[in-house]
Amino acid sequence: MKLSAHYTKASVLISLAVLFTGAVIYFFVINYIANNQLDRNLSQALSEAEEYVRTTHAEPQQYDLDQDHAVFLKTDQQAFKRRYFDTVYHNFREHRTEPGRAVEDLVKAGNRRYKVTITVSRESTRSLVEIISVITLVLIAGLLLVLFITNKYVLNGLWKPFYRTLREIKAFDVAGSGQFSAKDSKVDEFAELNSAIYEMSARVKAEYRDLKIFTENASHELMTPLAVATTKLDTLIQDETLRPDQLTQITDIYASINKSARLNQALLLLIKLDNELIRDDEPVNLKAVILEKIVQFQELAQSKNLVVINRLDDKGIVASKYLIDILLNNLFSNAIRHNLQFGKIEIDLSADQLVFKNSGSPLKLTGEQIFERFQKGKESQGTGLGLTLVKNICRQCGFHINYHFADNCHIFNITFPKIS
Amino acid sequence: MKILVIEDERGLRENITNYLNADGNICESCASLEAALVKLTDYHYDCVLLDIGLPDGDGFAVLDHLKADGKMEAVLIISARNSLDDRLKGLNIGADDYLTKPFHLAELKARLMAVFRRKTLNTNSKLVFNEIVIDVLGRNVEVNGEHIILTKKEYDMLLYFLANKGRVISKNAIAEHLWGDEMDMHDSFDFIYTHIKNLRKKLIDAGSADYLKSVYGIGYKFLAT
Repeated sequence: MKLSAHYTKASVLISLAVLFTGAVIYFFVINYIANNQLDRNLSQALSEAEEYVRTTHAEPQQYDLDQDHAVFLKTDQQAFKRRYFDTVYHNFREHRTEPGRAVEDLVKAGNRRYKVTITVSRESTRSLVEIISVITLVLIAGLLLVLFITNKYVLNGLWKPFYRTLREIKAFDVAGSGQFSAKDSKVDEFAELNSAIYEMSARVKAEYRDLKIFTENASHELMTPLAVATTKLDTLIQDETLRPDQLTQITDIYASINKSARLNQALLLLIKLDNELIRDDEPVNLKAVILEKIVQFQELAQSKNLVVINRLDDKGIVASKYLIDILLNNLFSNAIRHNLQFGKIEIDLSADQLVFKNSGSPLKLTGEQIFERFQKGKESQGTGLGLTLVKNICRQCGFHINYHFADNCHIFNITFPKIS
Repeated sequence: MKILVIEDERGLRENITNYLNADGNICESCASLEAALVKLTDYHYDCVLLDIGLPDGDGFAVLDHLKADGKMEAVLIISARNSLDDRLKGLNIGADDYLTKPFHLAELKARLMAVFRRKTLNTNSKLVFNEIVIDVLGRNVEVNGEHIILTKKEYDMLLYFLANKGRVISKNAIAEHLWGDEMDMHDSFDFIYTHIKNLRKKLIDAGSADYLKSVYGIGYKFLAT
């Protein structure tokens, strides 16, 4: 739930509670005041009635002061406590009953005693309370509506800079060329947030760039010592006094140097891919390139007695030929390296996807893990960067690659982007 | 053949110079751009071996200098950078080939011979070694005047051996020459053996002497006599 929604919920609940309690108290207070007013009127009427009884000496029968109903009943009671009570009022003119308020007391005139009951209609006060209640309810509803709208639009408007910042943070790519733009906000907190993020992103980018430059330089610098080592060995093996076992050792050193160099090359290529430095896209006929590769890897495949089955449709893509070459080299050498004797390689190329499928024993690595740097099978002689390269090349070309193992086959599935 | 090696790394420079100083080649060397420009102004060379990353400047300046002077030296760039841009830039402004560090001396020599041959193709399209004659234009091999048919790999290997005759060449160097990076070293050794066996058989069957010798544990040697 969004912050504004949280806020709206809380404020509406609190306002509702306060307003409701207020309304209840309000209702009772108004009722009380109205009743008080009525009672005061009634006692006024009562004293008028007393006056009347005292002055007329006559038998008070039906006596009507204004519209009050007064009933006199002769009584023997000596004392009677005056009481006010709610009752029913008969409106003779309109012939209906209304809620009423009455007072009852003892009136003495000489030795005559009367119990006087005066009733008045509460209709007017009731309608007053009703009107006040309706107005109050309308006010509450209006207030809530205003609160709701304010929260929805004003608060959302207030948070807009925040969401803009959030969008930018989400889109932030440490390797990308886009810079975080610190937009000024009228709200101090957001302005501060923006400037903090701006500084942070600039620092992160600078450090990332430094790291990349460092890696690239380090990789390049490594190549020269490797070249020195190689050429020294090349010179050393010309010595005819070396024994075969010593020469075998040298062969292993060569292999190690070669591996270091390849590792370095792969790292450099990964850096370039990260930087998107390779931008020489051209139309590539994928089918033709794959057929070339099949010929190129024929020898290697034959050494393991592999059957290469290809079902290739024509497929043109726009990509760097250099990268596609590396991509296919890695896929082919993987399919051969991690294969069984007398195994098979199936290559399917359609308009939507390219599938490399080769028989092999299952790996411990699953799914995405296989594409991680330096993740490799135990018996793999590779650099551990081959499939990382494959994945990064796919990403740069806009392809999607996934790996799974099924029916004792390693399956790499490259999906081409939909042509829109 | 007169060769100038421009390389700032001493170890590398000495090894290259020693390796190339054979077969009647004269190999000189220098370690900086300044010295290189002086030498190139004063003397004529057939081939120049140029390291791009020199301490006192960009090696591309050498290419500019040669171009400005209208000199015809074949230039082979050696560089730690395997960048396509550098490669294209070098080849565009007059280099003949581009070799990435680390490299084998045998590879360097073969490439150097190839660029030299290309530069002098008009006068020198035939490579002759005793009874073996190779027409590099037509990719045609004759032994004692008799044409023999070689596969592409066998032909490449023969040229490679001839450029490095009398030297021990490691299997690793041959593998890199024939397959580049695409193959694991240990996988390719068996193929090398097969290819060499076939090449040797074809040469001997055509009446050539047995030049290809196996050097146990390390590789092969093409006898220089």
